Amino acid sequence: MTEASHIQARAPRGRTRPGKVFSIVLLTGIAVLILLPIVFTFLYSFFPESEIEAYLKLRGSYDDTQWLGVLLSPKLATIRQYYTILIEDPQYLKLFVNSVKYSAGILLGQALVIPMMAYALSRFTFKGRDALFFILLMLMVLPFQVTMVPSVITLRFMGLLQTPWAVILPMWFSPFYIFLLRQFMVGLPNEYLEAGMMDGAGTFRCYTHVVLPVCRPVLGAAVALSFADCWNLVEQPLVYLSSRTADQPLSVMFNQISTDNSGVAFAGAALYILPALFVYFYFQEDILLGVALSELK
Amino acid sequence: MFRRKKSVILYLLPGLIGLTAFSLAPFIGGVYFSMTDGTFQNNFVWFDNYKEIWQNEMFLLGLKNTMTLSLFCAPAIWLLSFLLSILLKSLGSRTVFFRNALLLPYLMPSAALLLIWLLMFDYGGVLNRILVGLGFSRVLWLEGSALRVPVVALYIWKNLGFSVVIFSSALQTIPEAYYEYARLEGAGPLRQARQITLPLLMPTAFLVFILGWINAFKIFKEAYFIGGAYPDEAVYTLQHFMNNKFARLDYQDVTTAAYSFAVIVFVFFGLLYATRAVRSADRT
Repeated sequence: MTEASHIQARAPRGRTRPGKVFSIVLLTGIAVLILLPIVFTFLYSFFPESEIEAYLKLRGSYDDTQWLGVLLSPKLATIRQYYTILIEDPQYLKLFVNSVKYSAGILLGQALVIPMMAYALSRFTFKGRDALFFILLMLMVLPFQVTMVPSVITLRFMGLLQTPWAVILPMWFSPFYIFLLRQFMVGLPNEYLEAGMMDGAGTFRCYTHVVLPVCRPVLGAAVALSFADCWNLVEQPLVYLSSRTADQPLSVMFNQISTDNSGVAFAGAALYILPALFVYFYFQEDILLGVALSELK
Repeated sequence: MFRRKKSVILYLLPGLIGLTAFSLAPFIGGVYFSMTDGTFQNNFVWFDNYKEIWQNEMFLLGLKNTMTLSLFCAPAIWLLSFLLSILLKSLGSRTVFFRNALLLPYLMPSAALLLIWLLMFDYGGVLNRILVGLGFSRVLWLEGSALRVPVVALYIWKNLGFSVVIFSSALQTIPEAYYEYARLEGAGPLRQARQITLPLLMPTAFLVFILGWINAFKIFKEAYFIGGAYPDEAVYTLQHFMNNKFARLDYQDVTTAAYSFAVIVFVFFGLLYATRAVRSADRT
């Protein structure tokens, strides 16, 4: 009997050891690969504008003898790019503020409407509840373009087309988040609400004092995921605000302004990423926990 | 659970009004819209628009591309996230960094990452360097049908983490005792995976697959960023067709295309649900 098999027999966990090292190496590799685009965006944002501009001009060459180098360190590390987009040229900042406005408007409305709807769908019994939930699932499956034209007609009828409200209002009723919250609330033990009712709380007090606090993780997850949607909004503003360039969010216009002033593109991208990064790190625990506790099965 | 409470209507009302106004009514109204001819008199033409659209080459191209892209993305994400979550589980509890690294792209705005992406896939870019280093020749990633690769890669990069999180949390709910018992009985890792992990993971796997597929149908964003409003044929999606028709005020074509697509989506999910129902009936 060799020594190796002897050790294995004594320590049953010994067998998983090499496997564990392999997993760690593989996962580290994948994680680095995934994070690299973000790291490089931040790195390039500290390069001088002229260097980035010259570098980006080298793209799209068909010359088989030439390579596009990877810039690793700037000739001169500078925050000039940030200065340009934040102070010298207000164009970027305006679009950034638009994006903030849309995200804030959408998230506030969603906070009012969506948890209430999920509460009704999960903690009440009423006629047509299952049908309503089914319709919700169907709406969730549909891509935006399917209801695009009729929505435009509805919005025009309401006088909202080509105003920021056309982007904000319909997003308040996002079926996916109703679904996500409902799946979480369905799993709450009945005792919580019964305890509330014993103390004389009505349905509303149960909602604000029992259900909402208990739902903290999934609410955090929903805020983070919904923020990601808002921050990345493309289809809706393209259609609903087609004639209002000044009202477009950064997500639609970023490519254009970064081709116009390629020297500051990376600082723009880095600043654009930053709020999403903050939101992510603030809510990361909630996302993991919220998804884990929802009955997403 | 509250029964026979009148107040439920108060909680439902805001959401119901909104959903009706912005989703349900447009959806139903659109059916009528797709059957009119769009002239001043707005004649009712039944299914003429549908007959026409199914002969429209660009529509068929867009439909084909949306289908191919999602047929590739959804299973790829499903498989990768399944494998990754198994890897994560094998590490035990110290996985926060990895899970964060995987999920972070989900919150990143695609537009901000586009430039790095284009640099990476450039003819002289990093990817081609690696290819040449491995002994292959360079590929023109940003032209022709190869354009699908950066589009799909950006999509997978962004959406992989969310599926991993769902899978991981499902894996955590499987009691460790099952595996211990299986080991005592002499079942190897493969057998454990097949007889414990897979069956218990089925419902989650189904959900991840569905969510993945829904989102893959919405792949327009990535294709739009990389290819623009009129991209190469290979990444011209159905949403491009609809958006461009919309820009030309051709509303009938947009709604007709939309409903043709909606029917396909509904049939598809109907079939998936039916097979699932049959399977679970078999089990019991």
